[in-house]
Amino acid sequence: MSALISARGIAIRFGGVVAADGVSLDVFAGDHLAIIGPNGAGKTTFLNICTGYLKPQGGTVQFKGRDILGSSPRAITRLGIARAFQIPQLFLEQSVRENMLIAAASQARRFAPFARLADIPERGDVEHLLALVDCADVADRKAGELPEGKRKLVDIALALALKPEVLLMDEPTSGVASSEKFTIMDTLVAALRERAVTAVFVEHDMEMVSRYANRVAVWSAGTISRQGPPAEVLNDPEVVRTVIGG
Amino acid sequence: MSHIIILAVLDGVAYGSLVFLVAVGLTLVFGVMRILNVAHGSFYALGAYAAASLGLGLSALGLSPWLSYPLFVVAAAAVGVVVGGALERFLLQRIYRHEEALQLLVTFAVFMILDNAQRLIWGVQPYFYSEPLRLLGNVAVAGITYTAYQVVFLPLVAIAVLLALRLFLRRTLAGAVIVAVTEDREAATAIGINASRVFLLTFVIGTTLASLGGALAAPTTSILPGMGADMIVLSFAVAATAGLGQIEGAAVAALAIGLGRSFAVFFAPELEVLMPYLIMVLVLLVRPEGLFGKATARKI
Repeated sequence: MSALISARGIAIRFGGVVAADGVSLDVFAGDHLAIIGPNGAGKTTFLNICTGYLKPQGGTVQFKGRDILGSSPRAITRLGIARAFQIPQLFLEQSVRENMLIAAASQARRFAPFARLADIPERGDVEHLLALVDCADVADRKAGELPEGKRKLVDIALALALKPEVLLMDEPTSGVASSEKFTIMDTLVAALRERAVTAVFVEHDMEMVSRYANRVAVWSAGTISRQGPPAEVLNDPEVVRTVIGG
Repeated sequence: MSHIIILAVLDGVAYGSLVFLVAVGLTLVFGVMRILNVAHGSFYALGAYAAASLGLGLSALGLSPWLSYPLFVVAAAAVGVVVGGALERFLLQRIYRHEEALQLLVTFAVFMILDNAQRLIWGVQPYFYSEPLRLLGNVAVAGITYTAYQVVFLPLVAIAVLLALRLFLRRTLAGAVIVAVTEDREAATAIGINASRVFLLTFVIGTTLASLGGALAAPTTSILPGMGADMIVLSFAVAATAGLGQIEGAAVAALAIGLGRSFAVFFAPELEVLMPYLIMVLVLLVRPEGLFGKATARKI
């Protein structure tokens, strides 16, 4: 099986802090890969590199065999890697539906300056996506007025409107009440399955990892110290000691 | 006394309408592109010259002077699209990533060049083209006679532009994208929006509005090289008072500054030049984000 995203020998340091020192990691089609590790280990840095926001000092990243280091975030989005942020990046002054329509029309490369927003052909897909992430009820509300949980889901829907093959997520449920977490993740994972989207998520919550990941990679001290199925990795005494704490 | 007040209100409304057209273009451009275009006032002057030249050509050809109204729009669009579009594509695009000081210098240089271009093309003698002003006749407001062009036509155009802009920004795809880029350019780029295309469109709309302001001002004033300088300073005051990219705010601020200025003319002439800035400073002291602006924390 060939990897969708294939990172080789990634090295990046910020001043004296080494975030990655020869990291190699593959993301396979259909993966729900969780990246775990101590705070500040460089997990988010990896997402930033794969989406073109950061350029490492060494190494290569390929997406479906094509080198993507040095490409702009916009070009990488076009290739099929989307990103959801720890703090959702929505246009807060606009309604949820407007947010989605803007993203969907942009994905379709639609340029019709005077087309009515309500009439663009992507409308149907947008309504479907909103229903999929259980946000049809808030479609007309301003994104800035949504409760955190809904905002996370809209952010995911927005990323899915870009029709990605891979979705990179930074702590998809951070900032959400623990009572809501599983509902949100269930919705999210169902949406990813329906759209056959491969997912990578940075996560601190081990319960989330064991429940929703099919593979785990441990990012520690600038390297991938361990990877494999959650049942194995999360019970590794070394991982328990360095990452999970306990 | 009451006569003077009514006169001041009429003056203020007429002037505020023109200031609004120019300032709303500036605030749109600044909101989306975060570039302070000092040359924005030149488009006001170019619009006025283009309108006057076309209007005088109309008379020379013996065509109906009523055609001058649609010609205003043609003149404005021609200046906005051709000169504005070329300026954005060939010059501004190269300096977006540079610091503000350089952007100010470059657009100031463009202002100087366009200013001299006006002298070169139209000479230094003032142009007069008041035909459209006379066509609409006069109206009497509470015993004061004023030209209908200035107190009826100009405000109606300003209101129509405000409503059209609102519809465009709220209901159309391109408008929604412009609003999105105004709020968060990085996030907009991240979802694949072509910011450079949005910039061109916004800049052309902005310069067309400034040219329209100039074209409509043409019948009410003597057209001179450098007439854009006053307007740019006033537009900055309006844009700052209104809040970034706020079109409704620009309307309110333009009216307030238009009225403030005309009341100063009648009651405290020595304050006339100072008035727009007094209003601006007062508003910004109370609301640093502008009348209609929203204070936002920068996202990381």
